[in-house]
Amino acid sequence: MKVRTPITDGVVPTLCRMCDTRCAINVHIKNSVIAGITPFENHPVNEGRICPRSEAAIDLFYHPDRILKPLKRREDGSFIEISHTRALDEISARLKHLKKEHGAHTVGVWKGEGLGFYQQEGYARRFIRAFGSPNYFSNDSACYNGRYLGNHLVCGFWNAFPEFNQAGLILLFGTNPPICHPPFTRELADARENGTRLVVIDPRLNPMACYADIFAQPYPGTDGALGWGLINYLIQTGNYDRDLVQRHVIGFEKIAAYARKFTPQYVQAQSGIYAHVVETIGRLIVKNQPDISIFSGAGLEHHENGVNSIRTLVILSCLSGALGRPCGLYRPEPLGTGELSLDRTLPPTGKNPIGRDKFPVLYDIRKECHTMTAMDYMLGKGEYPLKGLIIAAANPAVTNPNTAKVEKALKSLDLLVVNDFFMTKTAQLAHYILPATTFLEREELHFYPKLQRVNLTRCVATVDGVIDEYRVWRELALRLGFGDQYFPWKNESAVNHWLLAPTGLTVDLLHNHPQGYVYKPIRYQKHLSENLPTPSGKLEFASPYLKQLGLDEIPVYRPPYHRRHTDNRFPLVLTTGARKSLFYHSRNQNIPRFRNVHPDAEVEMHPDDAAHLQIENGEKVHVISKNGRLTLRVSIKHHSELRRGIVEIYHGWEDWRVNFLTFDEINDPISGFPLLKGVPVRIEKAAF
Amino acid sequence: MKIVFIEQDRCLACRNCERACAFQDSRNFDRESTNIWVHVNMDHRTIFTLTCQQCEAAICLDACPTAAITRDPDTDAVIVDEKTCIGCRMCIIACPFGCIHFDSAKHIAVKCNLCSGVPKCVQNCMSGALHYADINELAAVKRHKSNRPRHNTALLPAKEDRQ
Repeated sequence: MKVRTPITDGVVPTLCRMCDTRCAINVHIKNSVIAGITPFENHPVNEGRICPRSEAAIDLFYHPDRILKPLKRREDGSFIEISHTRALDEISARLKHLKKEHGAHTVGVWKGEGLGFYQQEGYARRFIRAFGSPNYFSNDSACYNGRYLGNHLVCGFWNAFPEFNQAGLILLFGTNPPICHPPFTRELADARENGTRLVVIDPRLNPMACYADIFAQPYPGTDGALGWGLINYLIQTGNYDRDLVQRHVIGFEKIAAYARKFTPQYVQAQSGIYAHVVETIGRLIVKNQPDISIFSGAGLEHHENGVNSIRTLVILSCLSGALGRPCGLYRPEPLGTGELSLDRTLPPTGKNPIGRDKFPVLYDIRKECHTMTAMDYMLGKGEYPLKGLIIAAANPAVTNPNTAKVEKALKSLDLLVVNDFFMTKTAQLAHYILPATTFLEREELHFYPKLQRVNLTRCVATVDGVIDEYRVWRELALRLGFGDQYFPWKNESAVNHWLLAPTGLTVDLLHNHPQGYVYKPIRYQKHLSENLPTPSGKLEFASPYLKQLGLDEIPVYRPPYHRRHTDNRFPLVLTTGARKSLFYHSRNQNIPRFRNVHPDAEVEMHPDDAAHLQIENGEKVHVISKNGRLTLRVSIKHHSELRRGIVEIYHGWEDWRVNFLTFDEINDPISGFPLLKGVPVRIEKAAF
Repeated sequence: MKIVFIEQDRCLACRNCERACAFQDSRNFDRESTNIWVHVNMDHRTIFTLTCQQCEAAICLDACPTAAITRDPDTDAVIVDEKTCIGCRMCIIACPFGCIHFDSAKHIAVKCNLCSGVPKCVQNCMSGALHYADINELAAVKRHKSNRPRHNTALLPAKEDRQ
C-alpha cells in the first residue's frame, strides 16, 4: 500500500474512532509513516488517557489483510480486483436496472458501525432517499434504537450519557463501563470519591461490580420488574417528585395503579432479586433524591420487553426528581448543522418502508426500516422483493439474529455491495466489495451531545487508490443521475463547509480547537420553562401515541420469553453480547495481540451447571437452540459471576457465530429488537 | 523522585494497564510479561492493583549478586540490565511486594522501568487510578483522601444476619 500523509513529520491531533467513545488522540507521523498514537491532553472526554484499542488504529490502517482495491465476485465464488471506475460503473448500471425493472424500493442501504455514525449515516440516508427508496437500514436495529425509543416515548428526548460525577446515587443496568464506555470509569471513580453510592444490576458479575455498594443479579430480561418495584416503593412511601407529577406528567394515576402489585416480594418472584435488596435500593433512591443517575446499557434492549423496561426506568428517573438535572435526564441541544438526511425534504412516497407495518414506532421516530423483516423481503416473503443492498461496514452475517436465514437472504440478492476494510463474513457474500477508509483517512464532524461540544477530525493519511465514503456515494449518485442535485460537493471538506454554514462556525475554527468547541452552554431544567418535546408537551408516563397504535399505553411488565415458556429440551438460558475488552462487536479479531487475549470463543457457565452435565473447564461442547448449534469451548466461571442456568457467548466472533442460535421472530413490539439475551438452549458434550 | 502510584479506590479492573505494559516488553498482550497486575478476587469482590514502587531502599538492588540491578540516572527507576542478569531470581525472592517477574524465555528477571519516564500504564488508565508523579505530591493525594468522610457502612446485612 502506498500511503501519503499531509505532513512528513509531526503530530496531528484528532479523534479516535475505534469505538464510538471518540477519545482525543495525537497521531505521530515520522517519515510519512503513522508511528504512534498517544493521548491528546486537553479533551474533556478522555482527559489525556487512551485505551489499547486506540493504538490499534495503526494496526487497522496498515493491516496486511486490508482490502485496497474493489473486488468483484466471479461465478465460482472467488474475487477479482477491478478498478474503481469499473466497479462504480457496473454497480450503478445494476442499480439502474433494478430501479427500472422492479422499482427503486427494491433497493436499500444498510449503515454499519465500522465507519462511524453522524456524517457517514447522513450520506447513506441521503443516497437512498435521492435514489427513491424508503429503505434505510442500520446496525441501530439491534443496538441503540431501543434506548432511543424508550427515552423518547417518555420524555421526547434522550441524553445517552448523564454526568455521573454529579450524582448521589448511580444505578447501572446491563452495562459494563470499563469495556463499553471507558471514560465512564473516570466519572464513576470521581463520583465514588465524593461518596456517591453505586448500584449495579446485571445478570453477569463483571469485575466492576466489585466496585459497587450493591450488585444484584436478576434473571435476564426482568429489569422492568425491578423498575416497577422501585416506582411502587417511591409511590407507597410518598417519596416522589409531586410537583413534577402535577405540572409535567400525563398518566401518573395509571402507572400508580399498575405499580401497586410490584411489592418487593413480587419483584423477587419475577426477577430473582431479594425483596430486601429491592427495598434497600428504594431507600437509597429516597435518601439521594433528586441526584439520581439511572443508566441502562444495551443489556435491556435485547429483549422482547426491552422498550417497556427502559420506559419504566425513565419514569423511575423522573419520579426520583432527576429530570433536567446534570446527573439525570437533561436535554442537550444540537448544533443545528445542515441536514444530510432527506427525510424532511424528500419523504418517501409509494411503497411502504420495510417493517413499518409491523413496527410503526421504529419508522416513525427513527426513520429507519427493520433489518430482520428485510430478510423476509429478500427471501420473497414480503409485500415486495428486496433485490439490491449496499452495506456500509456492517456485518449482519455475524451480528444479526438467525444467521442461517441472514446468509440465505443475503445470498438471494440480485446485487449486494459491501463497503468494508476486510473480507468479513458479510463481504464474502457480496457481488462487489468496495474498500473502506479508516477514520484516519477522513475529515468529519463529531458531536458530544452531553457536552454540547463539536470536533472536526483531521485526515492523517491517505492510501493511494482508496477513495473515501463520501466520494463513493457521490460517484454512484453522479452515475445514477442525481449527483449534481444531492451530492454537489466535490469532496468531504466541501461537505463540512456546507454542514457548518448555518451554524456560524467554520472549518478553520474547529481545526484550531482539537479540544472540541462548545457550541452552546448547557441549560439544565428546561422543562421548568418550556414544554417537553413529546406530542403532549409533557412527560408521557402513559403514551396516547402508543395507545392509538394498539401498543402498551403504560410500560406494562411482561416476563421474558424464557420465563414464560419452559421447555425441557432447552433448560438453559443463553445471553449474548457481553463485551470483550479489546474487540468492538465483530471488529479487531484480526489484530494479533488482541487475539492473544481473546483467542477463541467460549461459552461461560456456572460451575454447578457444568458439574451437573459433567463438563470440565476447557471442554468442547455443543450449544443447541431450536435454530441451530454451535460447537465451542466451555469456560467455567466463578460461582458468583453468572446465575445458575445462565450461559453467555460473545456476539461478534466471525468463526463462532452465536447468532446461528438466536431468534429473529421474537421481537419487541415497539422497537422490533430481537431477543438476543434470553435464548433457551441446551448444552451437550461434544464427542471426542 | 517520580513513581507510578495507584489509587486503589479508582480502579475498576479494566486491565488496560496490564496490556499496555506487556506490549512494551513483548509487543504482545501477554499477561506473563506484564509488570503491573490487577487482582480481582471474586470470593471477596475486591480489586487490588500492584506495581513496583521503585523503593528508595531497594532490597532487590541490594540482593542482586551481579549488580545487574541499578538506578536509572534519568528517572530514578530501579532497572535490570538484561546483559548482566544471570537469572538467579534472588531479586524475585527479595522483593516484599512480588513485583518482579521471571522471563523464562530470556532467563532473566524483569520489572517496571517506568518506560523511561513515560509510563504506558498511566497513559492507558482511563479511570485515572494510576498517576506518574513525585512521591511528595502523591502523599498529598493520599492525605486528601484520608481526610474525606467515607461510607464505611455496608448497605446490606451479611448473609448470616438475615432471617
